Formats: sequence, structure tokens, C-alpha cells
Amino acid sequence: MRAFRSLCLLLSALLLAPWAWAAESPAELTAEEWLRKLGPALNTTSYRGVFVYTRGDQVNAMHIVHRYRNGEVQERLVPQDGESGEILRKGNRVTCILPEHGRFHLDAVIPSGPFAEAFSSQFVPVSRWYQATLLEPGRVAGHKAAVVELNARDPHRYSYRIWLEKNTGLLIKSDVREGGDGRVLERFQFTSLEITNDLHDSEFEIQGSGKTVEHTLGGGPWSSSTRHLEGWRLGWRPEGFMPAATPRTRASGQAVAFSDGLASFSIFVEAFSGTEMPTGASRIGATTAYMRMGQVDTQRYLVTVVGEIPPATARKVADSVEVIDALKLFGRGSHD
Amino acid sequence: MSEVNGMDERLKETLSAMMDDEADELSVRRLLAHSDPEALRSHWHRWQQIRSLMHDEVPQVLPGDMAQKVRASIQGSLAASAEVASESSLPERGWRLLRWRGSAAATVALALLLGFGAGVGWQVSPVAEHGGELAVHADAAPLVADVPEIPLQGLDDQQWEHLSRYLLEHAQHNSVAAGRGSVGYARVVSVSSASR
Repeated sequence: MRAFRSLCLLLSALLLAPWAWAAESPAELTAEEWLRKLGPALNTTSYRGVFVYTRGDQVNAMHIVHRYRNGEVQERLVPQDGESGEILRKGNRVTCILPEHGRFHLDAVIPSGPFAEAFSSQFVPVSRWYQATLLEPGRVAGHKAAVVELNARDPHRYSYRIWLEKNTGLLIKSDVREGGDGRVLERFQFTSLEITNDLHDSEFEIQGSGKTVEHTLGGGPWSSSTRHLEGWRLGWRPEGFMPAATPRTRASGQAVAFSDGLASFSIFVEAFSGTEMPTGASRIGATTAYMRMGQVDTQRYLVTVVGEIPPATARKVADSVEVIDALKLFGRGSHD
Repeated sequence: MSEVNGMDERLKETLSAMMDDEADELSVRRLLAHSDPEALRSHWHRWQQIRSLMHDEVPQVLPGDMAQKVRASIQGSLAASAEVASESSLPERGWRLLRWRGSAAATVALALLLGFGAGVGWQVSPVAEHGGELAVHADAAPLVADVPEIPLQGLDDQQWEHLSRYLLEHAQHNSVAAGRGSVGYARVVSVSSASR
């Protein structure tokens, strides 16, 4: 009987649509099977709740409602502290209500890609770079959870511990941990969570007032025509980190992102803008930003690597950046 | 070297023992009670420099002339520290990479006292280059050994604005790359509200 159930589970994994995963609540899944549930569950589970995000000495709470309707993700996020603001996503349309006195312009942070869709397929090779272990079950925000530890197999990346809600596979807590002592660098955790299909349309409407910025995902500056690195090359990156977002053409440089399915980092190569930056790494929780200045001919430039990777990895990536054609990379508009 | 001379020999012994992961808790507590953390910090940094140079751990990101300056400047320290090293048998102990086996709480307390921002393990690396003095990582993780750290507090407004733009854009990439919609958003908000 148990074998039959396992077979059914396997068949459902292979044949059914991703959202069918949520309907199963098997008790004997392996760590890898839980990981496969994670991606679809992030999209297809309907819920409302508050999660807290902690990194370094920063703590942010956000209210979230999320549902999957007519084949599209609908999501609304409202920061619970600091400046007011809202982020509403319906399918590929993202709307931001900007805070009046934000330090930064939120129009620069509107997601510009099909973010969650790539997740599920990327989890398969994760076990090549992380050792996945199923730990004792846990409990988060009143929900039973499967706990999976993902220990990095090399020193180029951090390790993770993730809590997945038992019935749906929804990610309800995650830690980014530094190797060795396992110190937690960053934590995402629901403090209240209601998994329900009883979500009203009104919960997915903008309720605040303020400047509104709308954006459609998948278009804009992320274009396949700029897929190749132009005017520079990357000499090294950790194994398993694949191009995850196409390079973005900038006014005077390029940006490109890589991911191993769990961690990601971005590389920015830009002409010197007039702001002298020091050489070295800054850390906010699990995020490292490594900067270094460079020069080719008379053109000065800045290489910045930002990602959830150890400082030494960021530095090695940044040091391997070689600008070979300043004119092509930075254009004529740059200044030195 | 005045602060070294002014430091109790037992404290120096404790410091050197900590370098070799052999200090006992009582000694660490005595160190914690020391009235001059500046002297401790300076002494610790100097020994870290010596140890690092013996292992050729000078950060490669330093310009050549800076590395030479550092080497030259600590030649004196090396000679002056020979006596201390001899007393504490440091060469015999081989300046192994530090792994702290003692009381974690005491270690953290000492780290705070010295202003090192350390966790359970030692991370003596708050500033890479400050006032002509070089601080070198003593973390057990070899990959962190030679990356200078830039405290966010050390950036001026223009630099912070510049860096924050990259942090934000990466957070945006993160949503795309790792597919972690909510976490990606949270990172965005976290960066937006970051205070230095």
C-alpha cells in the first residue's frame, strides 16, 4: 500500500500540473522531494500573513496576500514599518505605491523579469552544490514544517536551512548560514500565516495613495539582444552559477546576474561616475557588496559584485573581471 | 611598544595562548577585566599582522607599495615581539589558524570589548586600512582571510547612495534569478530602509 502511494506520488510529480503538488501532503518525502515542491508552492499556494525579514541589524516586517488565479500570480505586499508603500503584482503587471520620503526611488526596484517561474526547474541541480538533509520536523507560525538543511559543498557559497509548510510545501522560514559555526546571517520567517483560498478581490487592490509606478514584467531593458557580455569578460565564477538574468544595458556599462538556484549575485561594470569608491567588501547580513576600481587606457571604471555569497567569493569574481573594450562597454558618454 | 610593555605578562601570555587556541576560561576572564582595551586591541592586531605575514596573508588587493610598507612597518614589531613570542612558545605552536574552543560567551564578550564585531569565531577585520594600520582577518575560513571590509558607516552619503543603488538592483535581480519573490521584495525593502 505504501509502495502504491509512493508510485502515485511519483506519477503526480511527473504528470500533473505544478499546482497539483499543493494538494498532496505526504509524510515521507525526502529532502530532494521537498525541494521540488518548493518552487511550485511559492507560486500556487494562496495565503495571507506577515513575514519578518532580518539581516544584520535590520528587521523588516511585511504583510502579504498571495493567490494563484486563472493561471497568474496575484500578490500584494505592504511594509509594516518605516515608510508606507505598497507593491502589487498581478501576473506580469507590477504596481508600486511610492513612499513620500523614501531615501531611494522605488521605481528603480520594480522587478523586471518573470521571477518565480524559473525557480522550480532550477532546484534540480541544487543538490550538486549543496548537501540536502531532512531534519526533524519543526513548527513556524503555528504550522508544522518539514526542515531541510542545505549545506554548501564548497566554500564559495553559504548554507541554508529552510522550513516548508507540511501540506503545501510553502516556504515559511529560511536561514542563510555561514559555514563553520553555522551563524545565521539572514532570516526570513512568517510570524503569522493563514493558508486559505478565501481571499477577497479587495485584498488585491491598491489601498494607499501616493505616486504610482506601473511596470510590465518581461520587457524593458532585459532583452535577449544584449545577452552577451560586451566589451568585458568574466574570468571566474563559482561552479554552478549560471546566467540567471540577461545583461542589462546601462548608460555606461553592464550588469549581469548569476544564480545556482539558491544564491545569486550580480556584477556591475560601469564607467567611473565621479564617485570614488573604496576597495573592499561591505556586508549586510548575507549580502556582500565588493567594489574595486579599475582602469583601461585612460578610462577608469568600477566593478561591483553584490550577492548572497561570502566576501572572498565576491572578491574573486570581481578580480576576474577584465575590461577589453572600454568604448564598447562604456560608450562615448562616459567620463574618466 | 609602550602598551605592550605596560601590559601584564600574564595577559600577554593569555593573548598568545588565544592565538593558538589554548587559553583557558579563567585567563580569558582575566583578560576581559583588563582596563585598557586599546592596548589589547593594538597588541592583538600586531600579532595578527605578524602571523599573517608569516603565512603570506597580506591582502593581495593592497597596492604593492602598501604591502611593502606594512611589511617594513612591522619588522620592528616582529623583532620587538620576539621576546614575547619566545616566552609564549609561539613559533613552536606554529601560529596555527585560530579555532576557538573555549567559552563562546567569553569570546564574544572579549570581541565586543575589543570592538571586533566577532561571532563565536574570531573575525578581526573591521577595517582594512585605517590610520596607516593594517587589520588582517583571523577567521578560520581561509577565503575570508584577505578581503578588506568596508563598514557602511565609513561611506559618505554619495558613496552610500551609489552602493545602495547596486544593492537595490541586485535585490531586483534576486527576485528574477532565484525566483524568491517575497524574499526578493523583502531584500528590496530592507535595503530601502537601511540605516547606517
